[in-house]
Amino acid sequence: METTRDEVFSRLQTIFDELFLDEVVVTPELSAKDVEEWDSLMHISLVVSVEERFGIRFRVGEVEATRNAGEFVNLIFDRLGGSHV
Amino acid sequence: MIAQARTDTISMKIYPNSSVAIQELKKLLLDRDKTFWPALVKLTTSAATFNQLITLSTMRKKAVKLGLNGSSDRLIDPIKMGLIGGSMLYPLSDLLEHMMTVTVGKARILTGDYNNYRSEILEAASALYEFQPDFVIVLPDDQSCKYTGRLNDPEEMVEAEIDRVSSDLLQLCSIIRERSAAEVLLCNFILPSAIDLGPLRAKSLASDWSFRKAVNLRLGTKAPNYVHVCDLEFLAYRLGGLTAKDDRSWFESKQLCSPALQVALAKEIAHLIGSLTKSPKKVLALDLDNTLWGGVIGDDGIKGIEIGDTSPKGEAFKAFQSYILSLTERGLLLAVCSKNDFDNAIEPFREHPEMVLREGHFVSFKANWEPKAQNLIQMADELNLGLDSFIFVDDNPAEVENVRQFTPEVTSILLDPDPSAYVRQLQESRLFERFNITGEDLQRTEQYREEATRRNLLASAVDMDSYLSSLEMAGTFREFNPIDLPRIAQLINKSNQFNLTTRRRSEAELAALMSDQRYTGFSMRLSDRFGDHGLISVVICLRNDDASLEIDTWLMSCRVLKRQVEEQVLNEIVRTARVNGCRLITGVYLPTAKNQMVSDLYARLGFEPVNVTTERSEYSLLAETFSAKPTFISTVSRPD
Repeated sequence: METTRDEVFSRLQTIFDELFLDEVVVTPELSAKDVEEWDSLMHISLVVSVEERFGIRFRVGEVEATRNAGEFVNLIFDRLGGSHV
Repeated sequence: MIAQARTDTISMKIYPNSSVAIQELKKLLLDRDKTFWPALVKLTTSAATFNQLITLSTMRKKAVKLGLNGSSDRLIDPIKMGLIGGSMLYPLSDLLEHMMTVTVGKARILTGDYNNYRSEILEAASALYEFQPDFVIVLPDDQSCKYTGRLNDPEEMVEAEIDRVSSDLLQLCSIIRERSAAEVLLCNFILPSAIDLGPLRAKSLASDWSFRKAVNLRLGTKAPNYVHVCDLEFLAYRLGGLTAKDDRSWFESKQLCSPALQVALAKEIAHLIGSLTKSPKKVLALDLDNTLWGGVIGDDGIKGIEIGDTSPKGEAFKAFQSYILSLTERGLLLAVCSKNDFDNAIEPFREHPEMVLREGHFVSFKANWEPKAQNLIQMADELNLGLDSFIFVDDNPAEVENVRQFTPEVTSILLDPDPSAYVRQLQESRLFERFNITGEDLQRTEQYREEATRRNLLASAVDMDSYLSSLEMAGTFREFNPIDLPRIAQLINKSNQFNLTTRRRSEAELAALMSDQRYTGFSMRLSDRFGDHGLISVVICLRNDDASLEIDTWLMSCRVLKRQVEEQVLNEIVRTARVNGCRLITGVYLPTAKNQMVSDLYARLGFEPVNVTTERSEYSLLAETFSAKPTFISTVSRPD
């Protein structure tokens, strides 16, 4: 069964809940500057977690190019082989 | 608190489900629970992945903000570390700070700029020297360790470049030392796991693979005492070459290696610095029952304990003893701390032939019924050493608990229930590592070198005799005795190839034979400079009524073939004949499907054929005219 974008969002929320101490609600507009804990170290951790949990591998440079959680979800969605609606 | 934490980690298994444990820890933090910090220490030492460590590090920072670390070490000067290198040193520096803070103590890290280590070292006024580091960690990048010539350049050219690269790095280390008096941790190079070049990879010294290996070796063997090699090559190997590197993170953020290897590296650096800042352990105090042998000496007796080659379990205990013995060569002292009657406890060390450890290996032998902590205190007093230089090893959780409670300075190791894991468990405690070769070692090395030169002169041609002589073999003959009996029975019932008559006998039959005057049974043990082969040959002789000596059984373990053991055993058989007043020795070969190997043994050893058929061949030898076969085995004979 194909994963929907909503499912990607909710799975990403679980990962955020595990990683961050403070509560962070994942919205499409959310970006690192909105969260105090989200430093570059946490960012690496986030990418590693997402790759592990979703079983995907990002290509060089593409995570850096995403500007917010929405674009990040789109990227995950792409790498999962999904098609944009 | 830190010493206590370290103790705990040694016996602790990796958390069955560390993500659950981390969530629990998060709860402790949010509840501002005082047990947060000890739990953090435990989880950090067992953390295996990058993410776990990062999460723990984030929690630690938060806890410090909340004032949860609560220890008084704010007054202690922090350990100052300069981390410099040829790649981006963040997030490594963060992992390192976490490992240091949690497992060693307060630390401050100065993180160098990307690929700026040369100028940081060479400029006398750099931030590095201003920082006055206690330790400088140098992490050069792989790109700088490359032969830039051609793959088929003459070896001398490549060798010269290996020299240049390695001495250049060591030169940088010596400058650090001169300008800061810091100890230097020099990371060596990760070997490339690229399959490219194929067969040429190993054939050309100029390939990245061979070149880096050669440079790494040179760095290790040429490093002066203040340079401690942080063996990144080994860490990457242990992890697996493909997992160690991550090309994407190099292109994206100039990371030297994968997150997984960064975790291993941070742990290694913290371990090295921790060991360098603590005084080394000096005494290993050992329990006896189920620690050095299987079973309980007081109940099972010397014949009942499991030690040696008779059973797999016995072999495991023997291997453990051998490892412990090897630790004495690193300067460690051994002691016994056991709840036993002294007389029972000492007996295996004096009487049991399979014991590797002997009475003389111990500086203190406490076998009594006092609490072990009390014995350790007394031992420390007698040896004039601090309790913190003691390591205590026991298989019994209650004893370990007693020692942890009453003498927390002692580092305790609770052994795994499986004795085959004992050696690995001691090794993984990492308490027995040494940094440098001492002056005494060097002296010994010098003696070895002279000896080696002498040997090389003697044996310029490779021949069997010089090989056998170089083995420094020592043989011991013993009459059958109750302790050896299980191993003897095992050989009698299992040996097929080097076995002249293949007569099987049970342990009970052998015991009966021992009290029969007409029989003489003896065994031989062999050791050489590489180690102990244990009990490897068995002979049973029968004195017949006509005063001839018949070789009823003669067998040998095949692992000591071509070692002149047969010749040495024959010498002992002839001696037995003479002692028993026998002029004639007879031997029989009974062929089986498997003992073809010894079909000509008697003929080869100078026996005369008496009656040779396909089912049975009989030979004889005159004891009085026999002259002993020369061998390279020095022997201890049985008493006459």
